[in-house]
Amino acid sequence: MPVVNFTIERLYRFLPGIDLNRVLEVLPFIGLDIEGIDSEVLRIEYNPNRPDFASDYGIVRALRGLLGIEIGIPKLKIDKEINTYCVNVDKSVCDTRPYIVGLIAKNGKLDNSTIMQLAAMQDDLQNGIGRVRRKASIGIHNMDVIRFPVRYCTVNEDFSFIPLKQESRQEIKSILKTSNMGKEYSHILEGVKRYPIVVDSKDNVLAFPPIVNGNTTKISTDTTNLFIEITGNNIKTVEDILSILAITLYDAGFDLQNVTINNFDGNAYTPRMDVSYIDTNTSDINILLGLDVQVNEIVGCLQKSRLDATETRNKKIIQCVIPRYRIDILNYVDIAEEVAIGYGIYNFKPTIPYTTLVGQKNLTSTFINIVRNTMVGLQMLEIVNFSLVSKKIQYDLPGIREPEKVPSVIATKSREHEVLRDMLIPSLLKSLSRNIHEEYPQKLFEIGKIFKWGQNINEYWSLGAVVAHNAADYTEVKSIMQTLLKLSFGKSVTTKVASHPVFIHGRCASIIVGDESIGILGEITPFAIDNFKLRVPVAAFELNISKLLRN
Amino acid sequence: MVDDSPQLHPIEKLLLKRLANSDHISIEKLVETSDLSVDQVRRGIEWLKFKKLIASIDKLYVVISLGSNGFEACKEGLPERRLVNAIKNGYTSVASVLKSGFLKPDEINAAIAIAKRNNWIQFTQLQNGDKKFLSTAEADFLSCEEKLLQKLVKLNSSVQVSELSSEEKQAFELLKRRPKYIVEDEYKYSEIILLESGRRLTHTMYTDTDNLERKLTPDMIVSGKWKDARFSSLDVMAHVPYLYAGRQHPLIDIIDEVKEIFFSMGFTEIDGPVIQAGFWNFDVLFIPQDHPAREMQDTFYIAGAKQDDFAHPDQIKKVSSIQEKGWNSDWNIEDARRLVLRTHTTSATIAYLANNEPQSARVFSIGRVFRNEKVSYKHLVEFNQVEGIVTDKRITLRDLMGLQKEFYSKLGIKKIKFWPTFFPYTEPSLQSMIYNCALDKWVEMGGMGIFRPEVTHPLGIKNPVLAWGVGIERIAMLRFGLNDVRDLYSNDLGWLRNLPKCQL
Repeated sequence: MPVVNFTIERLYRFLPGIDLNRVLEVLPFIGLDIEGIDSEVLRIEYNPNRPDFASDYGIVRALRGLLGIEIGIPKLKIDKEINTYCVNVDKSVCDTRPYIVGLIAKNGKLDNSTIMQLAAMQDDLQNGIGRVRRKASIGIHNMDVIRFPVRYCTVNEDFSFIPLKQESRQEIKSILKTSNMGKEYSHILEGVKRYPIVVDSKDNVLAFPPIVNGNTTKISTDTTNLFIEITGNNIKTVEDILSILAITLYDAGFDLQNVTINNFDGNAYTPRMDVSYIDTNTSDINILLGLDVQVNEIVGCLQKSRLDATETRNKKIIQCVIPRYRIDILNYVDIAEEVAIGYGIYNFKPTIPYTTLVGQKNLTSTFINIVRNTMVGLQMLEIVNFSLVSKKIQYDLPGIREPEKVPSVIATKSREHEVLRDMLIPSLLKSLSRNIHEEYPQKLFEIGKIFKWGQNINEYWSLGAVVAHNAADYTEVKSIMQTLLKLSFGKSVTTKVASHPVFIHGRCASIIVGDESIGILGEITPFAIDNFKLRVPVAAFELNISKLLRN
Repeated sequence: MVDDSPQLHPIEKLLLKRLANSDHISIEKLVETSDLSVDQVRRGIEWLKFKKLIASIDKLYVVISLGSNGFEACKEGLPERRLVNAIKNGYTSVASVLKSGFLKPDEINAAIAIAKRNNWIQFTQLQNGDKKFLSTAEADFLSCEEKLLQKLVKLNSSVQVSELSSEEKQAFELLKRRPKYIVEDEYKYSEIILLESGRRLTHTMYTDTDNLERKLTPDMIVSGKWKDARFSSLDVMAHVPYLYAGRQHPLIDIIDEVKEIFFSMGFTEIDGPVIQAGFWNFDVLFIPQDHPAREMQDTFYIAGAKQDDFAHPDQIKKVSSIQEKGWNSDWNIEDARRLVLRTHTTSATIAYLANNEPQSARVFSIGRVFRNEKVSYKHLVEFNQVEGIVTDKRITLRDLMGLQKEFYSKLGIKKIKFWPTFFPYTEPSLQSMIYNCALDKWVEMGGMGIFRPEVTHPLGIKNPVLAWGVGIERIAMLRFGLNDVRDLYSNDLGWLRNLPKCQL
């Protein structure tokens, strides 16, 4: 989950005279987790549905609401400028990265802490809703060195410019192959023939999205006027991000002006910060939350969550007003959550719902418990292991040949978790090998799922058991196994000669119940015993419980 | 006639025999000279005392050893001895003795006083008024103090005061006055004495023939010989080995307990496969197809596995349409087909709702879930999760909180609070925080919420559905006081064999 570093100095700057303890109390009730706190910084973790919390400005906005300092829709003013700041979009970008939006932010003050917040926000937005820059990437530029109109067009791979933090020009093809940003994000431009760039009328390159920005427009603490551009392959995402940046920069003290986007198929003025409206039935909200709150109080709760609502002719229905940057509000359930937050989650008194329903056990669980209890009664100790295991433990060490088709997973982070077990005995042997310094006899069992390829991957419940001590042998495990079946299910069992690589040849049998073979039994081969570093003989059996229960 | 002696334990008989031979004896000596261990002797003494056959007296003895100054004095000689040596070397006045180096200035007065007392020196007054020393014949002999010091050095160990001769005792008293010459230590010990009743018993014991049976055999029972048999007593306090009992795994104990809590709250258990099409694990839950959690970094995809008939065409149509509308992007059926290892048990409960469309239900599912993560002390790749859902015509957020409180209360967790959080498939969503007394802080336990209409409507569910989930291992770690989640799967027999079943 993404984290914001909120310096305490800035907290007091934005909320003068605030009690820090009150802030710490309230933050979790806005859905923000306090990851850590020291004398200088609050580390706050936020959920990905609220990208407006990606900077401390967003957190302050919400705090002001819940603390009652400033309620309702946050103020926002954008000067409508037609054709002053234009971005001309070339048709060629349609095939690579079709969408661009922009914003002008003037007369602001950028100190180091603000630049850090904006940079962190930029990263979080690009990685989060920008889906690691594929859907959208952001450029924040020093407006004063830009000569408008700006052009959004494409160039070929030989085109060169000076990328951010470099001193000399580099060709696009070289940037893609050799720079860090190039290596990380070039896959987004795979297969394109011409590369998108944002360039001004002096042919200064502002950006080569989504890879890297140009060096001429980089910002510093001296910058007071900003040009923001967002490019991407999803129009909603680029506009969502722009709206979040707009409210953030407004809160940071900038004067906002719009940008004219001249597309080949018409003009647009960005950012579009129109609020949206959702008609909501207040009864629905009360019913969902379990409250019985008057309409005006519901409106008050929404205002504390920085939304608003007006009553309509229908007394039950309110028209909720949603600011553009709240991209998480989709329908009435989201409104209900905002009401709950404004009401204060700490104010909800839990209730116990009564029911006429009675609980019932699952049949498979019941049978498995019978097997488990009988095994415990036979003095066997239960262990638990993972279903996802390594090939080494499942096949190599026991000396079993890996089947042609094994249920396995892709891109595992560790060799310990590559394949799904098709039998339990190897895991049991591994557990024995972890306990060679404990006293013998060791008599262990496990009940777990096994997986085998059939038409699809079939899942079965299996029981595996091992006994390890100086005199462990076939007779002992057969006694345990047949007692288990007799005592649990009243079933008689026969054993027929069988062979399996994990058992000594000639000392292995299949377990037959009715007419069906449901398991295997025998003395473990010394090859496996030695590989697992054991020093005593081991006998084992494994039963397919699912097959047994089908009868 | 009642014969007392068979009622004596073999240990008691041994001790009585020993005491009959020498009846004032310390416990330490008893242990040394009998074949019994310290524990056995102590126990025997207690029993005999209780039976009023012996009594014990607490005694004290004092030992002395050389102190640091005493040790020095042995090497250099006592001050009065050095004075005599000085005199014999021709230093016969106080002034010259001081200059000679035999004595330090602060030792002179004491040396003269003690030498006078020992009758080792004499004064003669000179014509000019000075005093002149002479040594006597007695000075050629060792004083009693010197003898005692020499003895202590030679023995190189401590000596009991009670074992000193009267002359040595006198020397001891004198040396005690000098600082750090002698170190005294006190020791307590118990002396056992045989009482008259005990002595009488030892007489009858001698004449007792040893015809006590050790074991009751089937033959004795069947033949009737038991009627004439007497049995020897056993050392009932002797150590015996522990057995290795069969036992359910502690994690399964927790799972059973959680199941019982759900049953008691009216929930029915359901089960589901661990491998599912992405459709049921993600798409149905309104998780967009480009959500980061769906990537291979976080989810396990099964190699070479897709499912063709993963859902009714009608369900697919409804869910895909909600996905496209809600996330404003194309929906790809191939992504939904791919088989994954489920990342939460929510996919089991949601499949139940989809296939049964109940008006009112309480179901839960416990099982393994999988996350493609790095294993650490708090994260596993594979773990157990329980998910409960409640649906009814009228069911609210407050009911959800109430159910949670009830659930955790039955687990023994009384302090709980709720904070808002986010899940893609529930709104509102909350997380439950419980108070961990051992760590003295609030920790996150589980998540909960009301399913979004985007999830329930395509499946034909019109009533609200409450849902909550919690990791079983988390509960187990709290209950068993573990700091590393991996301990639950290490199958360490030392832990499993010794962990008490009752953890309340």
